[in-house]
Amino acid sequence: MSRREEILARVKTVEALPSAIRQAIDLLADADADMGELARIIEYDPGLTANVLRLVNSSYFGGLRTITSLREAVVRLGAGQVFQLLIACGVIPCMRAEIKGYGLPRGMLLEHSVVTAVAARTVARELGLTAPDHTFTAALLSNIGKIVLGTFLEVDAAPILDIVTRRGLSFEEAEEAVLGVSHDEVGAALLEHWRLPESIVYVVRWRLKTEQAPRRDLALDLVHMGSALAMMTGLGVGLDGLNYRPSPEAARRLGLDTAGLETALASVITALDEVRALFS
Amino acid sequence: MQQVIVVNISDMKVSRKPGDVLTTYSLGSCVGVAAWDPKALVGGLIHCLLPLSTSSPLRAQENPYMFVNTGVGTMLKTLFRMGATRESIILKAAGGADMRGDDLFHTGARNTEVLRELLTRHGFTLAAAEFGGSIPRGLTLFTDTGRVSVKTFGKEHDL
Repeated sequence: MSRREEILARVKTVEALPSAIRQAIDLLADADADMGELARIIEYDPGLTANVLRLVNSSYFGGLRTITSLREAVVRLGAGQVFQLLIACGVIPCMRAEIKGYGLPRGMLLEHSVVTAVAARTVARELGLTAPDHTFTAALLSNIGKIVLGTFLEVDAAPILDIVTRRGLSFEEAEEAVLGVSHDEVGAALLEHWRLPESIVYVVRWRLKTEQAPRRDLALDLVHMGSALAMMTGLGVGLDGLNYRPSPEAARRLGLDTAGLETALASVITALDEVRALFS
Repeated sequence: MQQVIVVNISDMKVSRKPGDVLTTYSLGSCVGVAAWDPKALVGGLIHCLLPLSTSSPLRAQENPYMFVNTGVGTMLKTLFRMGATRESIILKAAGGADMRGDDLFHTGARNTEVLRELLTRHGFTLAAAEFGGSIPRGLTLFTDTGRVSVKTFGKEHDL
């Protein structure tokens, strides 16, 4: 078995999502699904219900009037948005761990992911674009492959960083050279294993290689840029550092220039305290 | 007793209490400047996110420390009011990293450039600095001795 095959096989051993989320995913895959059913499934899990309501009622996610039940949230925000917040709540616990291979102390992967998600949404807002519903969640999950590589496999970053320095490669190119697979691809494989929607898997899969993506996708461009902004803040950045390349084409497609990026960066830092509190 | 005071992004802290340690984490493209006066025994640390307040004038009004051009001067004035002088103040700085192959934004390089220009224009020099590359850094000032250290991936060295 090659190193690549070994790593991708390992993905299948990662613990599954909470059962309420798995059921909700299955339900939403069915076009004729009853949305009242979605609320019923989630309400079986009180912790999850409380967390989803906390997000739904936060000013960051647009809560104007207090929503007290999941049924009301589904009616008011739509099943799509509630589903996105549900995934975010379900996946967060596994993003709190220490990620040894990437030099990330406990909590730092989540920290970086939250910054990325806020940044992706902020870029859209600053540019007057409507971010697709799944943008925030896809951004939040964009680094999840590091859990497999850094925690389960405890990958040694030294030879990867050595190639980054000697050959001037980006970190994901160096990962591919050493391991046969990069953390973005591993992350997409994990989300696929969890049967998350294709729209989210797609963004995670191509986030670092937007130019090679089979189709253009607004959420992908936003998450790519959100990821760049998050690295610039340095928050929750591990051993891989800032060794990634921002895509000039993605920036051009979005209409993002240096001035726009800096305005967005200032807004990200300002919004962060509120959003951090929601995910703490 | 030693007290660690954390300086967040777009934040500045000063201290005249012996033993206080001013520290900031996660300088990505941001720049951090540590200032210490060995005679007045006062120190300050700032973590600036962006080079110029012209990019968000409103935010600069709310928080001058977000920008190099408004933040660093504000910190120095604060330290001068606490007894530091132009002649004896020692400045050290770090940060200004950029993404590998960033041909677009150069935020880290611009932060560094604006800091250097600002200091030169006002007749200050950096006693030590560690800028650029693609690595995030932490910066710490020990106010009892003026020691400044840079931390990258858990390894610390003096600046």
